[in-house]
Amino acid sequence: MTPRRPAPRRPVLRRLTALLLALLLPAAACTADGPDDRVTLRLLASPELADLRPLLDELREETGIAVETDFRGTADTDRELTRRNSRYHLAWLASDRSFRLRLRAAGHRAEPPLATAITRSPVVVGMRPATAARLRANSPDQQISWADLADASAAGTLAFAMADPRQTTSGLAALVGVATAAAGTGGVLRPDDVSCDRLRGFFSGHTLTEESPARLAARFTERQNTLDALITHESELLALNATGKLRTPLEIVYPKDGMMLSDHPLLLLDPAQRAAYDRVVEWLKSEPVQRRIMERTMRRPIDPALERIPSLRRSIGNALYFPDRRQVIDRLLADYGDPRRPRPAQVLFLLDFSGSMRGERAAQVRAAFKGLSGADDSRSGRFLRFHRGETVTVLRFGGKVLDERTVTYRDDRDPARLRALVVSEDFDGRTAIWSGLDHAYRTAARILRDHPERRLSIVLMTDGRNNAGIGLDTFLDRHRDLPLRARAVRTHTVRYGEADAGELARVARATGGRLADAAGRPVLAAFKEIRGCVH
Amino acid sequence: MTAGDRPAAEEPRLALRRRSASAWSRRGFLTVFLPALALVLIGATALGTSGNALLPFERVITLEGKMASKRDFFEDEKVRRILLKHHIRIHITSVGSREVAIRDLDDYDFVFPSGQPAGDLITRERAEKNEFTKIYRPFVSPIVLASYREYAEVLAKEGIAEPQPASGKGEPLYYTLDMDAFLELIEKKRQWDEIGIEDFGITNTNRILAQTPDVCTANSASTYLALVAFTRRGEGSEVPETSHEAEERAHRIKPLMEQGLPHADVFRTYVSPEGKGVAPVVVAYEHQYLTYQAHYLARSKKLDLERVLLYPKSQFVTQPQFIALNKDGDRLGQLITQDPELRRRAMELGFRILDPTGEVAGDQLTEFLRETGIPVPSVDDDTRTAMPRLRLLERMISIIGDCSGEESG
Repeated sequence: MTPRRPAPRRPVLRRLTALLLALLLPAAACTADGPDDRVTLRLLASPELADLRPLLDELREETGIAVETDFRGTADTDRELTRRNSRYHLAWLASDRSFRLRLRAAGHRAEPPLATAITRSPVVVGMRPATAARLRANSPDQQISWADLADASAAGTLAFAMADPRQTTSGLAALVGVATAAAGTGGVLRPDDVSCDRLRGFFSGHTLTEESPARLAARFTERQNTLDALITHESELLALNATGKLRTPLEIVYPKDGMMLSDHPLLLLDPAQRAAYDRVVEWLKSEPVQRRIMERTMRRPIDPALERIPSLRRSIGNALYFPDRRQVIDRLLADYGDPRRPRPAQVLFLLDFSGSMRGERAAQVRAAFKGLSGADDSRSGRFLRFHRGETVTVLRFGGKVLDERTVTYRDDRDPARLRALVVSEDFDGRTAIWSGLDHAYRTAARILRDHPERRLSIVLMTDGRNNAGIGLDTFLDRHRDLPLRARAVRTHTVRYGEADAGELARVARATGGRLADAAGRPVLAAFKEIRGCVH
Repeated sequence: MTAGDRPAAEEPRLALRRRSASAWSRRGFLTVFLPALALVLIGATALGTSGNALLPFERVITLEGKMASKRDFFEDEKVRRILLKHHIRIHITSVGSREVAIRDLDDYDFVFPSGQPAGDLITRERAEKNEFTKIYRPFVSPIVLASYREYAEVLAKEGIAEPQPASGKGEPLYYTLDMDAFLELIEKKRQWDEIGIEDFGITNTNRILAQTPDVCTANSASTYLALVAFTRRGEGSEVPETSHEAEERAHRIKPLMEQGLPHADVFRTYVSPEGKGVAPVVVAYEHQYLTYQAHYLARSKKLDLERVLLYPKSQFVTQPQFIALNKDGDRLGQLITQDPELRRRAMELGFRILDPTGEVAGDQLTEFLRETGIPVPSVDDDTRTAMPRLRLLERMISIIGDCSGEESG
């Protein structure tokens, strides 16, 4: 932005100069500062920027521009910015990505407001040093990734704090970052990448949430003994460490699979205030002010040439690409739900234990459960494993349901109990697939009656054809008569051995689930495909 | 009132040929720039003497200008001082070049879009309304990919980039990029770690691509689009000739430009200390990089050997269009094409200036870089590169950038 007038340091001198100029050069008065420079602007700001409040007082002292500020969350600011006549002159946001997505969706029809980035800060992870050391030791190359965080969260060894992604830039950036890492394509998230929810395990470690970063930091400080990590802007983490209120300062981890960056743009909402806007921007981007912001709030200056203070010289890692489609973000937020009202997950595995499963096939199923209980070290395995708080029910069936056992993953002993769900060597002679599924839906209806908040799904795996009990058509008739909630439960099907792909595809389609094929690959791969649509 | 110096119905193409090292093909330039030079020569007589010191009581006018990356020129301190001697101050509104073209210009004295397509949009529109329009083309600058040493080296290892021999011993500043092979990496959705960026001390699992500003608003992005479309022409013509061809090719190259929500100012991000992580390969103008190196050299008495340029084998040269919207703007247009001090300064800022005597001033930039101690980039390829006609380019931009909103797909 170009200065229209020099930035005055001493208002009195400035006004004297202006007076002299006005006397001597009437024609030039339009380019000089006059006493009427004193304006008051209404500013809408993200709560992330609340620590810059003292700076706004200095703005008034040094430029004569007074600012009345309202701090509001993302959902509110987005709404305000898209209004025709905003009551605000300026907006200062942690990031305007969410707003720009709205503009894009509307097709660039209106001229977007002028926006100038002022500083930057990446959204990263502050960790207790002991936690960081443990995660690092478990990682193949001693660099911590989002997948490592997901794995530790699922295993219950990482409890973290993160602000609400619906209301804060840091929360949304973290959500998009971890979803991008989970998709594992290295590219921008597309709608297909978020059609399956891969973040349950990660968010099972999300123990503390707030709607503003300042409150989040305060609550984190109170609960520092029980929390392992805080996901927020680097600037917040450095500032929190500097308060001295933490028993051990947090180690700042820049995940090796990348992060999102906020750039704190100042937007001009009322074009009539352009002159004042230019002066504010010029002041904010001037070297001394950039330095002040850096030294006081640990944000990285936008001025490329300004030397960073030592705590800001570390490489921030790679920036991940931010989706350019609103629907991707909407889907992520919908799956994420309400952090204050977590919805525990439960999976009903309806597993074929007819004679043909004996031997190698049963061993595959056991290997799959072992993998999902934490033994699968791959990136997808770390995101898709069973996680704390998840309930797993196994219904073994042959000519009828042989048994039904349930384990809820609560502590370190539970992975062994989850694996034990499929160790039985009791096989049956016949295969009653649709009677089994009918049984599973009745179980589902019962569970949902007692726990309506559960995210419930059914996984049906069979290696043969139905030769006992009811047929598929009868099952589908009965399915239509189920209570609404139970009917909404999806059945994902895994085809194995000689199973009828057509029937399995049909039931998946009828219930909104998907069909995965375990032919020619491990059963674990098919289960993972269903849990996270990983191919 | 004068309309543009070019009939509005014509949809011109920028077709340049480059041949020997650092020398610009003069014949090629003359055919393209002759109309501009003619205007410049006529303007010369009208200008008269200038550059005299500011008289104490003389009125300084503030001109309102709208532009994108060419603000680097008007924001330069020396340029400001020189203009002040001519009693002119500039107030800049900074937006993308295409954004300059598609919005209301009532409050401006001049605009300075970075390339011809955006300029043509403006002159066409104003010619229809019979509004004052005068074009000046003071300089040109090629489109390049600005990157970091490790990234250039891993591309060199893959046989996709090649260091330019004379651009610095051991640590070349310039590489020639095999654009087709580079785009193939992008098409195959390869990630940096898959081609061995770790061997150069960097961890990066991001997909390989060149970041651009928003293609819906920025000239550098739409020029890159044309470069990609040209490189990926396959059996087709050099540039799409019909709407059908343009749409087909746009859909075909769209995945190659998929980068999510674009950053507003990729070059400034690139030159920041965080640039290597945030913007390791960006589309930029040569002048931006040369200005950066000149400033770096002045500040730290050495070159920044970490940041390097990749010159695509097929050169796309952009031609910023200074468009005067009234008499005041016209005076400024004459100054930037005529005033020796301003022209000299433009060259120092890395622009390849066009000489009013009819000589292409590329050799002057070479000389200046030599004097300064900045290696001289050499381009020894004579591939012809061309922009699609404006209407077709606009169609391609709209498809690739989803510029008209999600409902249009």
